[in-house]
Amino acid sequence: MKEDGRGRAEAAELIAEAARFGIEHLVALGDVLVYGRRPAAEQVREINDDTAWLVQTFPGKVSGFCYLNPVLGEREVWREVERCLGWGARGIKLEIANNARDRCMQPVMAAAQAHGLVVLQHAWSMTQIRQRSYHTDPEDAALLAGRHPEVRIVMAHLTGCGIRGILAAKPHPNLFVDTSGAAPEAGILERAVDELGPERILYGSDVPVRDFRVAIARVTGSSLDAETRRRILFENARRLLKLP
Amino acid sequence: MNYFDAQTWIGGWPFSFQPAHRAATLARALRGEGIGRALVSPLDAVFAPEPTPANRALLRSCRTLRNLLPVPVINPALANWREQLAVVARDRSVRAIRILPNYHNYALTSSEVEAFVSEIQGRSLRLVISMRLIDERHEYFAMRLTGVPTGQLDRFLERHPDMPVLASGLYRTDLLSLLPRHPNLLADLSFAEWFDIVDQLVRRLGARQLAFASHTPFLITAAALAKLGQVGIGATDLTSIAHRNLERFLKT
Repeated sequence: MKEDGRGRAEAAELIAEAARFGIEHLVALGDVLVYGRRPAAEQVREINDDTAWLVQTFPGKVSGFCYLNPVLGEREVWREVERCLGWGARGIKLEIANNARDRCMQPVMAAAQAHGLVVLQHAWSMTQIRQRSYHTDPEDAALLAGRHPEVRIVMAHLTGCGIRGILAAKPHPNLFVDTSGAAPEAGILERAVDELGPERILYGSDVPVRDFRVAIARVTGSSLDAETRRRILFENARRLLKLP
Repeated sequence: MNYFDAQTWIGGWPFSFQPAHRAATLARALRGEGIGRALVSPLDAVFAPEPTPANRALLRSCRTLRNLLPVPVINPALANWREQLAVVARDRSVRAIRILPNYHNYALTSSEVEAFVSEIQGRSLRLVISMRLIDERHEYFAMRLTGVPTGQLDRFLERHPDMPVLASGLYRTDLLSLLPRHPNLLADLSFAEWFDIVDQLVRRLGARQLAFASHTPFLITAAALAKLGQVGIGATDLTSIAHRNLERFLKT
């Protein structure tokens, strides 16, 4: 879940609304594009302060990820990660400040490994989008996972990563994928389960860019069996985030 | 709730692992999801050199399936479009024609389209325009296709203000810009993906120009139905979107 330009009050309403759809726990990623794709250090702090507020306002209901702009450099990355650990961040969120292949990822991944944080990397197939200099393709996410096998990474947006992305992720057991992304295309989730197994796929809504109803129906409307759906909708994320 | 689906397809799509439905399996799948009726078009007409064989197969396979209303695809950019149309118009179950300008390489503003529109109006057939079949970012790597430009649809509707038109596959921003300007436009919800999308659209635009569409088998049928679940709009608006607006559109 991203806050996407909403204020704290609206984000809080969103979390309350999630309960209507049976959602017990949410991962808040921050309003990561509110200052553009490369926010300054103080803007990153402001984004993470909002996430911290959500975590503290909804204890046990919301996990927060620490948003980072890796381009700001090693000192700033470590400073912000340690600040976010103070309010209990469970992961690191990366968007489109840079490509996951870039050298500036090194301190981010070192911090993730040092503190056992999950890294959620935005990804989308760049075959038809000419933005790979700063926009991570699933093959870039796979390369990152191969370079850092001790860090658990979530490659965002299964629909955007497509079958090629699933195949790129397959050799890397530390690479997970979430079910979000654009229109709910048929046949992708089933194929992802065939290739990756049911343990490496996590339900993700991308709310409020997308809708809870449609996001859940991507899983419940698939041809997967009930146990696999349960893992995707709940169990896999619970285990990954070490939630009770 | 009675659902009338504004967009479904039979046949295979070569670039994905979506199900390849025959008419009978599609009819069964839709019934299984609680969808009572659906407009259906043939995917084989998208890439074939000429759509008539696919249209004939569609009409043949829908003959005994009362919940599927065949919507043949015509390509007005081919020299034989009048023959294509004559073949399908003979079938009394055909109430509407679908066109695919981006896949068939013509502009909605072209002279061929004008002649075609005049012909289908003369035959009391409705026009369905597919703006896109899939998210352009997910097209096969060798395909350089974009959706039909919204500006083209805008100009087309300006030229035909009294002609009912159903547009399939418009994005949310297109719906917000086009629907208030063109009361004759009915738009399906297949590619309207945003938070609380139905509530938001009805609040801003009303329900009269919106139609439920699953876009099966490209998209997950249950996800399209879910868009209309637990929404905060009134029962009348919900019914309009679920089936009444499409029924009204098809009445000639």
